[in-house]
Amino acid sequence: MRRLLVLALVAAGLTTAVVAQESTTRKLTPAEQAQLDTDNKGRATPMTAEQWLARRRGGDQAQRKSWEPTPPPADPRDFTGLWQLPGGNINLLQENGEGAPFTPEEAKKTQQLIDAEAQGAVLTDAASQCFPHGVPRLSFAPYPIRFAYAPGLILILHEVAHNVRIIRMDGKPAPKDTPQSFLGYSVGHWEGNTLVVETSHFNDKTPLDFHSSHGTKLKVTERFEKQKTSMGYTDLVVHITIDDPDHFTKPFTVLRRWPYRSDMEATLGSDGLQEYSCEENNRNVEMSSDGKVIIK
Amino acid sequence: MKFVFKPVLFAVTAAILASGVSAADSEPFSFLPAAQRPAPGTPDFNGKWAMAAPIRVLKTADGKEPPLLPAAKAKYAANQAALKANPKSDPNANCWIQGVPRITYAPYPMLISQDKDRVNLVYETNHTFRIASLHRPLPKWDDALDPHWLGYSAAHWDGKTLVIDTIGQNDKTWLDYSGLPHSEKLRVQERYTLDGPDRINGELTLTDPETFSQPWSTRFTLVRQPGYDLKENVCVRDHKM
Repeated sequence: MRRLLVLALVAAGLTTAVVAQESTTRKLTPAEQAQLDTDNKGRATPMTAEQWLARRRGGDQAQRKSWEPTPPPADPRDFTGLWQLPGGNINLLQENGEGAPFTPEEAKKTQQLIDAEAQGAVLTDAASQCFPHGVPRLSFAPYPIRFAYAPGLILILHEVAHNVRIIRMDGKPAPKDTPQSFLGYSVGHWEGNTLVVETSHFNDKTPLDFHSSHGTKLKVTERFEKQKTSMGYTDLVVHITIDDPDHFTKPFTVLRRWPYRSDMEATLGSDGLQEYSCEENNRNVEMSSDGKVIIK
Repeated sequence: MKFVFKPVLFAVTAAILASGVSAADSEPFSFLPAAQRPAPGTPDFNGKWAMAAPIRVLKTADGKEPPLLPAAKAKYAANQAALKANPKSDPNANCWIQGVPRITYAPYPMLISQDKDRVNLVYETNHTFRIASLHRPLPKWDDALDPHWLGYSAAHWDGKTLVIDTIGQNDKTWLDYSGLPHSEKLRVQERYTLDGPDRINGELTLTDPETFSQPWSTRFTLVRQPGYDLKENVCVRDHKM
């Protein structure tokens, strides 16, 4: 049946890949269960395993229908439009359900922050102080993004805190004098219909999720591809490979699926991205008067 | 990063070759996916631009002080006095998002990403962007608009001129580095016209019945910056990093 669907799509000139639906009733791995427990801390209504998996899967049939009243462009290399990760997904769980391969030191530091937060500490980091979020932290946020194109460049405009990713498509490596920065220096190329973006020259001031840090040796490789879901809607799927020998014992890969959100296009006066002034609402730092803030 | 070579190597190589530089790249809008390209003959503003000359004090096209109403004139004087007493009085010095049109003449380059439906204006200064829709109108004045730092923008074509109208800005920003004030009633019209491939003639018309006695206009020039690579620029007030 799925093969027939693929053939029909190819016949229609659409080469967007089709993927199977992830089950929401399977048993969680120990690392996933630990993440769910962390996510549930402080929640008035804790999520069940099924709800947690469903959110990660990216919405049910009714939601997807309302999110995608018009389909994205048919061209598989045309990512123009709005995409949003439902509810955000800020953790480093790998696709197979395993946790990140922390070095012993990083595992210890990460656990210390998780424990401190569980005891009521308010954590602050680059994003909560209105600095750019870092990569891939930016790709874990629950706010919509817009892909756009400029000569020699692909842009990812993020609603959250007006972050802008600039991906250079000219095939040249980063210049020798490239400074370290929050979002690094991104170079992209196409492999078939997959946009491959390699980013380096990061500073070490951003967390990777809420609790884990990285160093300046970090290299991130993102592989973006449009995929049809088994429900017939479109995800922008990104496989993110994180490589930082000072914090992880080996490179590892996390996966995010951003559903297409053509329903947001008509948002008042902005074609879907609303103004997000972090500078005006610097909440976590304001909360530091209780003396429990940890500056990472 | 460890690369895994798969049997699709041939397809990958073919795709890389297909994505390489070709004669078509010199065509306008060839960098855009086909479905996003404007109609042939549409002026092409895409690329990196910077002001030919900075604007510190915004004046009318003939070099006069804008037609301030008495109350606004008093506010302008108060802003100037505050600025003299403390440079941090400028909202810009506190890293608030700059409003329109001041963000255009901030002393940093900008990037225009234009397709058939919208103009994305990306400003290097504090990594800020605004989106002007070419296919959706501005919200109506009587909508319950939540004032924004950059307001709400929509664009349209007047012949070969790109016209961007902006309303709904909050009144916390200044129009220039000298403290020129405005109210939430400000309406800004930016008119951009190409003068050859590498210059844009810009014209601004400011209408604000609570600040100015009449609409007034001024001009500026943007120059293409072909070799410039937009940098990460971050401004955070009282930062702790």
